[in-house]
Amino acid sequence: MPSLSTGYAPNLGVFLKSLKSQQLEASIENLISLLKRRQIKNSRPCAIATAHLLLRVVARFKWTDVGKLLERIQEVGQRLIQAQPREMVVGNIVRRVLGMIRDEAKEDRNEDASDSASNSQLSSPKRQSSDLGHLRNAGGPPTAFSPLRFDSKDVVQAMDSNSDDSFGSKSSANHRPPLITSHTSYAVTNNVPVQHSMFNLLSAMPSPLATPPGVSSPQGRSSVNMSSVAHRAAASSNDLKAEVISGIEEIIDELDQVDEQIASYAQEHIHSNETILTHSSSRSVQKFLLKAAEKRKFTVIVAESYPNDHEATHAAVAGKSKSSLDDSDDMDSDTFLKPLPKAGITVIQVTDAAIFAVMSRVNKVVLATHAVIANGGLIAAAGARGIAKAASFHKTPVIVVSGVYKLSPEYPFEFESLIEYGDPGSIISYHDGPLVDSVEVDNPVYDYVPPHLVDLYITNLGAHAPSYLYRIVEDHYKAEDTNFHNPEFQY
Amino acid sequence: MDDTASTTRKTSTISSPNYSAASPSFYEGSTTPPPLTGHPPGLNRMATVGNVPQSGAGGKSEAFDIVKTYHRLLAEDPELTMPVAAIEALIELLVQSRAVTVFETLDLVKTQSDYLKSRIPNSISLSAGTDLFQRYMISSLNPRSTGNFDAVRQHLLSNGRLFVSRAKAGRERIANYGRHFVRDGSVVLTHGGSRVVGALLSKAADASASGGNVRFNVIYVMNDARNSESKAVVSALRAKGVPVATIPEGAVGYAMGKVDLVMVGAEGVVENGGIISRLGTYQIGLLAKAADKPFYVAAESHKFVRLYPLDQFDLGFDQEVIKFTTEDEGEADEYGVKTPRVVERPEYFGAPDVPETPIEAVDYTPPGLVTALITEGGVLTPSAVSEELINVWW
Repeated sequence: MPSLSTGYAPNLGVFLKSLKSQQLEASIENLISLLKRRQIKNSRPCAIATAHLLLRVVARFKWTDVGKLLERIQEVGQRLIQAQPREMVVGNIVRRVLGMIRDEAKEDRNEDASDSASNSQLSSPKRQSSDLGHLRNAGGPPTAFSPLRFDSKDVVQAMDSNSDDSFGSKSSANHRPPLITSHTSYAVTNNVPVQHSMFNLLSAMPSPLATPPGVSSPQGRSSVNMSSVAHRAAASSNDLKAEVISGIEEIIDELDQVDEQIASYAQEHIHSNETILTHSSSRSVQKFLLKAAEKRKFTVIVAESYPNDHEATHAAVAGKSKSSLDDSDDMDSDTFLKPLPKAGITVIQVTDAAIFAVMSRVNKVVLATHAVIANGGLIAAAGARGIAKAASFHKTPVIVVSGVYKLSPEYPFEFESLIEYGDPGSIISYHDGPLVDSVEVDNPVYDYVPPHLVDLYITNLGAHAPSYLYRIVEDHYKAEDTNFHNPEFQY
Repeated sequence: MDDTASTTRKTSTISSPNYSAASPSFYEGSTTPPPLTGHPPGLNRMATVGNVPQSGAGGKSEAFDIVKTYHRLLAEDPELTMPVAAIEALIELLVQSRAVTVFETLDLVKTQSDYLKSRIPNSISLSAGTDLFQRYMISSLNPRSTGNFDAVRQHLLSNGRLFVSRAKAGRERIANYGRHFVRDGSVVLTHGGSRVVGALLSKAADASASGGNVRFNVIYVMNDARNSESKAVVSALRAKGVPVATIPEGAVGYAMGKVDLVMVGAEGVVENGGIISRLGTYQIGLLAKAADKPFYVAAESHKFVRLYPLDQFDLGFDQEVIKFTTEDEGEADEYGVKTPRVVERPEYFGAPDVPETPIEAVDYTPPGLVTALITEGGVLTPSAVSEELINVWW
């Protein structure tokens, strides 16, 4: 087994501390084993750990060219995903970083427009420029690739808004130039400059009949890279590296601030004297409610989500320090969160069985998520689907609170595969020998909630309908990265 | 229709096209193609501006008839979809034309597209192709872009076969990706003769044959009016080793309980993400929704068409599916039922859509019934369709 040489009780905080002292490879193995043992679990800790690890990977990377760096990140990402495939945020963060590197590299390349011929080759995997390039360049001479420069501004802007902390929805609207045919898919393959647009049927490709080998695979891309990048690698690689690192740092910052950003929308959605039903313990939801409580008086009904999360839920209501229950979280500020009743909220704690009974009195349901899928559905703590179904029966609006980092571009072919089963011992104790012998006990940890049961998503970008999520996916992930860990799903 | 090609300049004689009068017979002697019913009106304004500038070309151009070309292309290659055939026909038109200016060319393509659409009863699918072609030309000939006229024209003329092969490659990609939706042990319900669905299911069958762990069953909804096509699909699947059950259309509701997913093709995908597809798709969609089964549509993105049907009867052409008659009129057949006017043609499966085909009855399946669209660009939610179209049109 990989080294846990640090000897601390392993959790997120310890892992982050150990990053500084450990060898990189040991850190990777360390995180893999932590993920496998679920010593780091749940979306946010996993995302933070992944981002920090990738930061180290980039920092330690012996720079040759961008293609190699992408390969390296993909390789590390693949291992992390294999360690814990159901923590979908790990893959999300890796994809964000990959996309960010691609953007930075392209920006870099465009600034250095001296070798436009190789530019045209290189930039074709980038969906935005490739489309514009092809459109404008239909059959034209290679010099016509100058519009790339124009395009690059948009991409830079897009990149900025992507990694911008404030993540204003305004900026995400801005960065879509009108004719750029963006890729509205959420289950696309990697590496292939796929048909992003209806125009691709007719567009002029550099070489007809097939995508040129130089752009169709990361290896090929890097070999093309070598020619153009090598001669100025020395000059620009340090800049690029610094930019990539600061990009990852921005992602980390985003992870830190995501709950506050979501909470800032709270007062638009929670009104005075409303009754809100929520479920399980979630930092995002708790902050959301606390923020609303600064101005409003309302009632919160908390379903305890027995048996996987009830202790944490009780703690959130009663104000006990959560850190003793969930040690992987102790590096963040959970302990400073005010319990809901102290903020002036009337809290009613109910058992999960009472959800349907109280639903008729509820004005809104606020759900936390484990992961959000690009079709608009979500994976949440077990019981969420029952709540959503009860809410739809009573026509009660269901609001889902989730950071954008939880939004995964993967399209699952069967949703059952996303649901994890936990320790049945928490339902029936193993001391109860006769019962354990005679029954089968299932303890699903998550539920899949289909998109039609959700009315609104509130992310750090604002509020969106479930049918709009594909758009956000597209803004945050590059199509060629979507299935980077799973070449089987390549076209 | 020689007169169409040999016309002279005729600028504003049909300045206010009357939609309801746009029947082929009305325009029999006219030189200007009529506007398409139900087509976005913005285009009709342009349609009146100019006309086919082929008169000067003489000789060769007189032989060109876009409708015949379209039918010939479809007949030649059974794998060709209607939008791609329309694009091919337009490329042949460009080959024939001597248009030298951008405007002339655009106008020629426009008028000929409209003419073609007016001569095909159900022009929804092919209009996806003609629209795409026109938008492509407009955006690549845009003065702001760098594409110059000769280069664009040359590109289009020389790559006709490439577009066809790309379209077919797109189908392969859909099949390759979509086959993952067919899981081990699942039961797939399908109907119609969609080539994409056929490719998808046979890919899935290949996966099971080559040792992949996918053993699936297919329930195929037989269509009496298209018996030979149904039989061809069924036997093709059975030949691949896929157990197929055939059920009549009336048994879809009965069978739905055993079904894990529904997979259908589409003739056109409309703006809101709904689909235009073989008559019977809508009811299958409704039954799948009622039984809470996923309803997937496999369609290439060149089938996306800018149309927003409000209901079944808003497709822009009359299908004569519902026709009220009494005894006196002698119209009703012996059962008093007027079945959709679809003529059984044994040669259909080899050569779809030859000119004499009466309207292939279609219906409109609203987006609420569609779980996801499997396109060559990935799996889309219905709401993503409008964005693809917006990207092309604006």
